[in-house]
Amino acid sequence: MNKPLKNHWTAIVNGEHKHLEIAQTTRLVDVLRTHLQLTGTKVSCEVGRCGSCMVLMDGEPVNSCLVMAYQCEGSDIVTIEGLHGEEKGTLHPIQQAFVEEGGFQCGYCTPGMVISTKALLDAHPEPSQEQIESGLCGNLCRCTGYGGIIRAVRKAGERCAIKETSAEETVS
Amino acid sequence: MLLNRKQSGKRWHLRPDGAPKVTGQLQYLTDMTLPDMIHGRVLRSEYPYARILSIDTSEAEALEGVYAVLTSKDVPGLNRFGIATPDQPVFCEDIVRYVGDAIAAVAADSPERAALALDAIRVEYEELTPLNSTDAALAPGAPELHEHGPGNVLHRTEIKRGDAKQAFATCDHIVTETYYTPRQMHAYMETEGGLFVPDEEGRLNVYAATQHGYKDRMQLARIIGCPEEDIRVVSSPIGGSFGGKDELNVQPYGALLALRCGCPVKMHNSRKESVRAGLKRHPMKIEMQTGMSREGIIQAHRVRITADTGAYATLGAPVLNFCTEHCLGPYAIPNVDVEGVSVYTNNGLSGEFRGFGGNQAIFAMEGQMDRLAEIMNMDPWEFRRRNMREKNDPGPLNQRILVTDGLSQVWEALDRSELWQKHQHPPTDPTLPPWIKRGVGAAIAMHGAGLGYGIPDPAGGRLSLNNEGKIEVAFSYEEFGQGLVATLEIMLCDLFQCNTSDLSIIIGDTDRVPHSGSSTASRSTTMAWMALQRLQSPFRSHVLAVASEASGIPADELVTGPGGIWRKGQLPAESSEVETDVQGTGKSEKKVALALEGIIQTSEEAEKLEKAERIEAKAKEGERSDFVISYAELATQGEADEWIFDTKFDYPTTPDNVVGGHYLYTYAAVAAEVEVNTLTGETKLLDTRHVVAAGPVINPMGYIGQIEGGSVMALGFTLTEDAVMQDSRYVTTNLDTYMIPTIQDIHTQLEVEAIEDLPEGDAFGPRGIGEIGSVALAPAITAAIHQATGVWVNRLPVPREQLVRPLNVPLQEGVSPS
Ligand code: FES
Ligand code: FES
Repeated sequence: MNKPLKNHWTAIVNGEHKHLEIAQTTRLVDVLRTHLQLTGTKVSCEVGRCGSCMVLMDGEPVNSCLVMAYQCEGSDIVTIEGLHGEEKGTLHPIQQAFVEEGGFQCGYCTPGMVISTKALLDAHPEPSQEQIESGLCGNLCRCTGYGGIIRAVRKAGERCAIKETSAEETVS
Repeated sequence: MLLNRKQSGKRWHLRPDGAPKVTGQLQYLTDMTLPDMIHGRVLRSEYPYARILSIDTSEAEALEGVYAVLTSKDVPGLNRFGIATPDQPVFCEDIVRYVGDAIAAVAADSPERAALALDAIRVEYEELTPLNSTDAALAPGAPELHEHGPGNVLHRTEIKRGDAKQAFATCDHIVTETYYTPRQMHAYMETEGGLFVPDEEGRLNVYAATQHGYKDRMQLARIIGCPEEDIRVVSSPIGGSFGGKDELNVQPYGALLALRCGCPVKMHNSRKESVRAGLKRHPMKIEMQTGMSREGIIQAHRVRITADTGAYATLGAPVLNFCTEHCLGPYAIPNVDVEGVSVYTNNGLSGEFRGFGGNQAIFAMEGQMDRLAEIMNMDPWEFRRRNMREKNDPGPLNQRILVTDGLSQVWEALDRSELWQKHQHPPTDPTLPPWIKRGVGAAIAMHGAGLGYGIPDPAGGRLSLNNEGKIEVAFSYEEFGQGLVATLEIMLCDLFQCNTSDLSIIIGDTDRVPHSGSSTASRSTTMAWMALQRLQSPFRSHVLAVASEASGIPADELVTGPGGIWRKGQLPAESSEVETDVQGTGKSEKKVALALEGIIQTSEEAEKLEKAERIEAKAKEGERSDFVISYAELATQGEADEWIFDTKFDYPTTPDNVVGGHYLYTYAAVAAEVEVNTLTGETKLLDTRHVVAAGPVINPMGYIGQIEGGSVMALGFTLTEDAVMQDSRYVTTNLDTYMIPTIQDIHTQLEVEAIEDLPEGDAFGPRGIGEIGSVALAPAITAAIHQATGVWVNRLPVPREQLVRPLNVPLQEGVSPS
C-alpha cells in the first residue's frame, strides 16, 4: 500500500509551537487527540453537531472534527488543556464555576462546553439568557439537562465581570 | 424542601472528579492509548435480515498492516452474549437479524487500515424481507427469528384481578385509547470503546465502560473460554450510559482481537456505528381501556402492551415486566386485565434505558387519568386523589410493599405548588399572538427500585483502613457521571466525621472491589448506604479498640474524626473540607481511585506532601486539643487484614412470590407549563416542578443534577426524539438528525422539591433517584398541550401536525377571499 502523503504542519497549540509530519487532510481533532495526545478534546458525533470537540482557533470556537490540518496551518489553537487560571495548574474562573455549580456530570461534554463558554464570555462578558443559549446551542450535553451549566456560565460571567471592573479601577 | 444550592448550605459538596473533568485531564477509557497498540473494527451486517452464504476474509488478511481477521470460527468459547438471555452472537454464523449484527472483526496498525480491511471482507448474503414491525413479526406464517419459538414472542406478561369484562359492563364511562412511544436513543456523549491489554502473565485487562464489571467479566470469560480470574475489567470513568452500556458492546471484539494478536487493541465506535449497533428504548404500543363509575371511581382497567424488542432478547423480558407492573399507576383498581407481549423484529436492538419501561406505561396511564377526569368535568388532580391507592394497600402486583407516605406527600406538595395552581386559571397573555396557546398539566408516578422479586440482586461492599491510613470503601458500582463517588464521600464523612482527604474510594475494577451488584435500577445509593450501615459499627469498634490500646484512653471516650481518632466531644467544629475545596485550584483536590492508576493525573507528589503536612498539623493540634492518634498510625498496628470488613446481602424484595414485583418505590409528581405555537405545531416547555419522595437527600448537587438531567431527557422523549427506521434501517444515524434537547430547547424554569421523610426506623435509607426524574414528564406535557389546544396527544414524540390549527382571523377589509 502506498504511504499516505505527508506534509509539514505547524501551528501554535496552547502557546507552544508544534511541528508535525502529517497528511494535510487529517482532521484537527485527530491531530490533537492522536498526534499530540491532547485527549481533553473529545470526539462524539464527528459531524459538527455535538460540540464536544470544540477548540479555539485564532480565538474563535470551532468544531475540530470539521477542521482539516491544512485549514489551521499556522493558526493559534487553544484546547481545554490550554485553559487555566492566573497561574498554570490552577482552574480558570470558568472551570471553577463549572465545578462549583455542578455544570457537569459524566464530564464528556465539559471540555467543549468550557471552551464555548470561554468564547461566549470573551464576546459577551455579561451574557443575557439569549446570548448563553445561542453561544452554547452547538454543544450537546446528555447528563445535566443544562441547568448546572447555565448556573455555571452565569457565575463565571459575574466573576469575569468583577475581575474586569477591578482591573479597570486599578488602572484609573 | 425546595432543593437548590442556597437551601443545601454545607451539604453542597464539590465532586472529587470535578477538576480533572473541567480541565480535560481525566482520561476516559476511550482516551487511553499505549505505544504498541493496534486498532480494532467490526464488520456489521449490510442487511437487517439475511442469510449469510459465505464469508471470505482472505483478501483482508493479506493486506499489509492487518494483524487479525476474526469470524465466528475464531470464538473459542460461547459465541453468544446477553445479560439475561445470552442469545446475541458475538459473530453471526448463518443469519443476520439486524443492521448492527457483527460478522467479523479486524485489527490493524491504523484505524484507516482497519477500515480498508473491513472493505476487503467479502460476504455473500441472501437477503430476506425484514420483519419491520411487531405486526409483521406476529402475523401468521412470519418467519421465526429465533428457534425457541413459538412465533416471534420473546416474553408475555399478565395481570388479572377481579372480572374486568363484567365490570366494564357496569361502568358509566369508559375511555379507550392507544398510546405509542418512540425508539429513544441513549445518546451518551462518549461512544463505546476502550483498550484491551493482554499482559505477560497471560491475563487480559479490559478497559471498557459497563454498568457492572463483574457481569462483563463473567460473559467475556464464557466467550473466551477461560476462568473469570484471568480477566480484569476496569470500567470507570464513563462518559454517560443511561442503561445503554450495560450490555456488552465492543468488549467481545476487543478482547478476542487482543488475545489473538498478543498486543493492546483499541476500539472506539464512531457515532454512526454506535447508533446502528447500540441499544434503544423499547418502542411500545399500549392499548388502554379504563372504566369508571358515575362517581368517578375507576372500576376496570384493560391494557394490552406490545413492545418491539428488536433482534435479540437483551433485557426485553424484565423491561416488559416493569412496564406491566407500572401500567396500573399508583391507583387502586378492583378489576384488572393486563397482557403484555415483547416481540422479536429486525428493528435494531431494544434494551435497558433509564426508567426501564416505566416511562411508556406512565405516559399511557396518566393519559387515561386526564381523559377520565375531563369526562367527569373534574380537576384532574382531584380525580387522581380519589383513585389513588391507600397507604396500606398492596403494590400494583398485589404484592406487599414497604409502607410510606410518599404518594400522598408528592400529591399534596404538587397540589400546593404555584405552577399547578395556574391550571385552575389557564394562563393567558393578551400580548401573545392568537396562535400561541398556553396550558398546564401534571402527572404522578410510583416507580419501583431494584431489580424486583425473583431476579438475583446481590449487594455488598467492603470497608477497610488501608495501609496508607485511609478509610477505604470498595464497591462494584460505576461512575458514569451520576456522582456516585461524591455521594460516597458524603456518606462516609457523615458516618465517621472525617475529612474527604481521609478517604479512598475504589470502584470500577474487578481486581480491587468485591462483587456488590450492578449500578442499575436506581439502586447504588441505597445499596451503598445499607452496606455502610452494616459495616460501620464493626469497623468503628475495631478502630476505637486499637486506638484505646495505643493511647490508654477507654474506647468509649473516643470517636473517629478528621485525620484520626479524637476524644469524644473534642472534635474540631469544622470538620468538613467542603468549603475549603471551593477555592480548590486543583491543589487540594483529592485523588479518587477510579481504579486505573494515573487516570486522574493530579500531582501525586504534591498530594503526598500535603498529606504529611496535614498529619503533622493534626498531631500538633493534638497536643493542644484532644487528637489521639492518626489513621496512618493506626493502620500500622496489627495485621493488614484485621482492618478489612466485608458484607454481603440482597436488595430488599417483596416477600410475595410475584416475579419482578418491587418492594421499595419512589414517588414523583410533575407539573409542566407549555406554550404551543398552533401555526408551526411547536411546543415549548416553559416551566416545570418536580416533587420527589425518595428519602433523605445525601448529595443535593447530585440530586438536582439527576432530576434536571432526567427531566430534559424526558423532554426529548416527549417532543423530539425518535430513532426513525425505514424497512428496519436507521434513517436518523447521527446527532444531526436525531434530535436531543439543546440548551435552547429546555425549560429554564425547573424546580425540584425533595420530600425527605421515611417511615420511622426505615432500614433502607435514601432511595436512588437516577430514574424518577425521567418517568412522569411526558404525560404532564401532553396534559398541558391538551389544556392549551384541546388536542389529546397519544403518540410520542408529539406529532406537530396534530397541533397545527388554521388561523381563524377575519380577512382584512378590501381583500377579497378569492
Ligand atoms: S465531534 Fe465534533 S462536533 Fe461532535
Ligand atoms: S456531562 Fe455528560 S454529556 Fe454533559
